[in-house]
Amino acid sequence: MASSAPADDRHFIAYKGSFRLFGLTLDDCIRVFFGGNAVVSIIVLALITYFLFREGSGFFGQNRDNLTVYRHAGLEYVDFIRTQQDDHAALTRYLSDLRVRQFNYSTTDKRLSLAAANAALAGFDDFAGQYGDSVEPIRTLVSDLTEQTTAIKERFTVMEDKKVERTQLLAVGKEAEAAAVRIVPIDFVAELKPILGTLPAYREASADFAKRLTAVLAEAPAMPAPELQTRMDRFQQLNAEYMAGFPAVTRNLETWDYNKPVPVTQAFSSFLFGRQWLTASFWQDWYGVIPLVVGSVMVSLVALIIAVPLGVGSAIYINQIASPLEQKFIKPCIEFISAIPSVVLGFFGIAVLGQALRALSQVAWLSWVPGFPYSERLNILTAGCLLALIAVPTIFTLAEDALNNVPRAFKEASFALGATRLQTIIRIIVPASLSGIISAVLLGLGRVIGETMVVLLCAGNRIAIPDFTAGLAVITQPVHTMTGIIAQEMGEVVHGSIHYRALFVVGMLLFFLSLAINYAAQRIVRRYRISIG
Amino acid sequence: MSAATTHPFQTQPSAARRSESVIFWLFRGATYFVLLCGAVVFLNIFVKGSRTVFQTKAPFVNTAFFTESPESLYVFQWQGQKMELGDKEFRTFKEKNPAAANVKAESYVYCAGGIFPCIVGTVLLVVGSMAIALTLGVSAAVYLNEYARDGTFIRFVRLAILNLAGVPSIVFGLFGFGMFVIFFGWNVSLLAGWFTLAFMVLPVVITASEESLKAVPKGFREGSLALGATKWQTIYKNVVPYALPGILTSSILGIARVAGETAPIMFTAAYVVRDKLPWQVDHFSDFFFQGVMALPYHIYVVSSKIPQNEYTERVQYGTAFVFLFIVALIATASIVLRSKLRNRYKW
Repeated sequence: MASSAPADDRHFIAYKGSFRLFGLTLDDCIRVFFGGNAVVSIIVLALITYFLFREGSGFFGQNRDNLTVYRHAGLEYVDFIRTQQDDHAALTRYLSDLRVRQFNYSTTDKRLSLAAANAALAGFDDFAGQYGDSVEPIRTLVSDLTEQTTAIKERFTVMEDKKVERTQLLAVGKEAEAAAVRIVPIDFVAELKPILGTLPAYREASADFAKRLTAVLAEAPAMPAPELQTRMDRFQQLNAEYMAGFPAVTRNLETWDYNKPVPVTQAFSSFLFGRQWLTASFWQDWYGVIPLVVGSVMVSLVALIIAVPLGVGSAIYINQIASPLEQKFIKPCIEFISAIPSVVLGFFGIAVLGQALRALSQVAWLSWVPGFPYSERLNILTAGCLLALIAVPTIFTLAEDALNNVPRAFKEASFALGATRLQTIIRIIVPASLSGIISAVLLGLGRVIGETMVVLLCAGNRIAIPDFTAGLAVITQPVHTMTGIIAQEMGEVVHGSIHYRALFVVGMLLFFLSLAINYAAQRIVRRYRISIG
Repeated sequence: MSAATTHPFQTQPSAARRSESVIFWLFRGATYFVLLCGAVVFLNIFVKGSRTVFQTKAPFVNTAFFTESPESLYVFQWQGQKMELGDKEFRTFKEKNPAAANVKAESYVYCAGGIFPCIVGTVLLVVGSMAIALTLGVSAAVYLNEYARDGTFIRFVRLAILNLAGVPSIVFGLFGFGMFVIFFGWNVSLLAGWFTLAFMVLPVVITASEESLKAVPKGFREGSLALGATKWQTIYKNVVPYALPGILTSSILGIARVAGETAPIMFTAAYVVRDKLPWQVDHFSDFFFQGVMALPYHIYVVSSKIPQNEYTERVQYGTAFVFLFIVALIATASIVLRSKLRNRYKW
């Protein structure tokens, strides 16, 4: 039958003069056109993946080069000693914190005048001063070495630039000029010789430092209160641990080899687990994503903690408890809130909410709240509150849908068994729609973690891992986020530079994170959907 | 308490009932708290913004704010008076008063003039991107609802749509930057912004259109096909016309979203400042390859990129007011139209 169809076609008027393109009838063409449009969403998704990879994938190679230069130019070598110096600085900060505590103790508990309190601290200040000065031999060494190694790195960068210049000249065919570009390869062995030669000097300085430190610590003043004395003992203990680490530093310096290759995995691990995001620094640039991830997660957590009870609570209220009139009025209102542009919310945070929350934190009877009072206007809390307002409509709408899908029979059966409304809601309706509610929360999380303008304007933009030792007070510290850093730095970077590519890799991370959240939400809905009947 | 009102089935006060009503009040409180937060944001912007946008003299609306470009504000002392003049006014003032040529004036960037170029830019961005998104989205929805049969391919398409809806807007910005601005070499341009925004809003439009198409009863299609119409004629004459109002109203929410986004246009279409208006181009084709100023980006710039002082608040709140007003108008229109439509078509 099918083979004879074309022969018959001629007799039908409907097929006369029918239009054909590549053997397709008009209807087929239309169908293909619509089908093509449907494919666009797949294509866009593929294109996003492709272009993020295209711009970002070069990062890891560049990061490896970056780390290699760090090693070749001897920066890593100097950083061993510098860490020793930095640790000492951290201990000095501990000491100054102790001074503040002791001062407060003198003025508030002992009720001494300011002058008398300062006088009582004279012995302590003397001790602290000596402690601070004891690092001097190391400090001198580090500052000398810093200059030398940055000089090596600088020369290396200049040579690299010249190489690029030459290839560019060759590319346009200017061979004479290209030949004129003089490239002297850096002889790292020779360059590093004077630096490695400082090892005996370091040993001497380190021994000197240890001797001074022991001498100073032996004369540590006694503390006036037991609480302070325990802190002093802790300080002594920390110092003992610190000094026990000295031989390890020396060993590191002795075994350090500039030519040891940087493994490929380190290019990835230094990005994924790096604790520093430091760009445009004179010493060494670090692209570690951890501070940004922690910032994003903290802000989203605060937002969800606020938004989940509000969103789910209002969904239950509207779906189960509210009168029809309330339903009619409130649902569009919440949809309306979802239409507030994020940049307006961010501006509201800067102009109003930041100050309002800070003023609230300084109210005396609220000082029991962890982190209150605080002075940074823009911090995790401010951004979290505003993001909650963004997440609530999403969570509300989806959770309300889920509650709506619970079959009526469930509710009626529960009532028939004599359950109250509250029991029905808590024991029947919510558990039955739990998968939908959880996926609503997850999609709210996706919305919050991808939000840019609010966190860019209100999160404080300090690139550092917040200090978790502060306990819950951590939410009053400023952070920077993955979305925020892209928005802030993308406009200022040079195309193709390592920094530019690093931002694309952050975008890639964000993209896959959102896909994962989406996937989890869909999975939960499909897996735990209740079947009716 | 008379005997007539008591009967055996009357609700008795009990601890369970009391706790139930307390918990219900908690839920009610949560709901109204959300509304209150929204209202506070709206009122704050509207009250403070109206000081910039409205004025006490006729015509009661600060027309300069709507029709001029952003300018620097100059503040100086002149004959014992404090003068606040915009860039152009300051120049004419200097020409009129030669003695003022060397007057020492403090300048505040963007604090005078208006936001006309930003409004124009936003309108252009929204119109262009919605045209692209509606074309692509409605066609895709027609395919999914009218032509496609369930299969692996369609599952993939639906999965892609779902996932696309969850991609953060800044990632769309990066993608638009990588593809249109760099790879296609369009630079920061209207065209790049249109496509970036259109792709971002595509899932919303597709989902909304599909819902509306699904709402058209099967009988409409069958009747048309029974009369000998082709598939395309059926869709064109008997399905899409009935679905169109629904498609448009639901897509308006998409418009609100497009108008409200800042992150995707930051690197693809928005300029911090541009002297020329979009239609002041040499060639017609240049129109598509020019960057524009946009309201959301302008809010970002004036609220965090320029030094803050007593005069910036005026322009910040004014811009936020206008922007929020536009977006709110679009959202209200969509919500009202949708509830009207629900009542009109019942089949």
